[in-house]
Amino acid sequence: MSFESSATAAGPAGSPPPHTVLVVDDEPTARLALVARLKRLGYRVIQAGDGKAGLEALRRERPELTILDWMMPEMDGPSFCEYVRQDPELQTSQILMMTSHDQPEQIAEGLARGADDFLSKAASKYEITARVQAGMRAATLVRRLKDATEEIRQKQEALEQELQSAARYVESLLPPSGTILPGVQMVHAYRPSLGLGGDLFNVVQWSEDVLGLYLLDASGHGVSPALRSASFVTFLRKDSLLRHVGSNDPGAILTEANKQFPLTESGHYFTIVFASLDLRCHTLSYATAGHGGALLHRRSGEVCWMVQPNLPLGFDPSTSYVTATLPIGPGDRLYLLSDGLYEFPAASGELWGRGRLEKTIQTLGQQPLKTVITETIAEAVRWQGHEQFPDDVALMGIEVAI
Amino acid sequence: MSQDRVFSFDEALARVDDDRETFQMMIELFIEHGPKDLVEAQSALDAGNALGVARSSHKLKGALLQFCAPAALHACKELEESAKAGNLANGAQLYATLEQEVQRLLVALRQVYDKGMAA
Repeated sequence: MSFESSATAAGPAGSPPPHTVLVVDDEPTARLALVARLKRLGYRVIQAGDGKAGLEALRRERPELTILDWMMPEMDGPSFCEYVRQDPELQTSQILMMTSHDQPEQIAEGLARGADDFLSKAASKYEITARVQAGMRAATLVRRLKDATEEIRQKQEALEQELQSAARYVESLLPPSGTILPGVQMVHAYRPSLGLGGDLFNVVQWSEDVLGLYLLDASGHGVSPALRSASFVTFLRKDSLLRHVGSNDPGAILTEANKQFPLTESGHYFTIVFASLDLRCHTLSYATAGHGGALLHRRSGEVCWMVQPNLPLGFDPSTSYVTATLPIGPGDRLYLLSDGLYEFPAASGELWGRGRLEKTIQTLGQQPLKTVITETIAEAVRWQGHEQFPDDVALMGIEVAI
Repeated sequence: MSQDRVFSFDEALARVDDDRETFQMMIELFIEHGPKDLVEAQSALDAGNALGVARSSHKLKGALLQFCAPAALHACKELEESAKAGNLANGAQLYATLEQEVQRLLVALRQVYDKGMAA
């Protein structure tokens, strides 16, 4: 039987449109009685004489509630339910199955195949009214939930786009890999944990012979640390450092930064390693603030960690950070790295740790710097068993050729 | 058999909230479709098609429930349940009873219809 429609009169002017009920039954007398009752209850009613026509009506009209006979030609009630439950567009429609099948196993079958409730064909008018109203309440709640979910999804999508835009900005602050001074090559890897990281690194060119190098880590993850890091990077620009510090001495820079960037109200802070590479004097000066430091891999194969135990920035404005100096020669490599590169666990819970990182870099030895950077990250990924690091990961390698 | 023993007019009318216009249309529909359902059940029975008998009698039962016609409803349920069980051995006898009861109901409904539905 083809689809038939019989809409009721709309509600009073200004009132919301009436909810819609679809009645699917091949027996016209019973269908007429039910349709008349539903209209008296104030619903808009559409009807169909078999399951197939009912499904077409459901797709077209999206009624809140469908009242469905179990046994029908073309498509029976349970099959109708299965179609509806497989279609994401129709899933919010509540289905009330009419049946004289009142055996528990048959009711279980109907529920398993997608019906929400049952209505005996011999039910009183009071029971019919109560079941329909209950179904309509459920339909209203389900649709509200779907609308709310969609609203959240849209907001999340907008937020993701904002984050991606911010992430592109943060990455634009990073220096390009390549030759940063004649005889000095730099390669880096950057893997923020949430798309937008609080780790940043860069190069400050003091003169033709002297480079400043730093890697900072803002505590926390996401937008707030990324913004704080971007602000700190502004402070670490050459003109700013000359104005605020008047020196390229790492210890002096961190001592001033400690005053400029106190703990936030929520207790967030920075850790940083700052180094100055002097090609004329063949020295590497550095200072650290709460940071795990940098790794110097000498051409000879010797490895040393450049780190001084002291507070992160912002904890105590009276803290002085001291500069340490090392000799540096051709073929030596300096690696500035965030603690996210070694403080992460394998599936077993065991941390990768500084020892494995150091050994990895040592083993890669004098292979091209780009290979060392790439393979070190790859080895870390192999250890944890997946690509996504729990914390921001930054690794900057500098090779001195002269 | 009197009309009241074939079906309960008051009860059937109450099921549709005393909506006489709707009830009149229901009678019209049943007068048109009831005999067709009987014919379908008969044809299925003749063909030994138990599923067809079950379907036709199930459909007819839906209408009979609306008219509060206990004898016809009982006969219809007996035929439907027997056919669902795949047992048509007594099908002819059950069908004959059903046909008789449905015919009685049709006569009673026509009487009500012809008298008019005005309260």
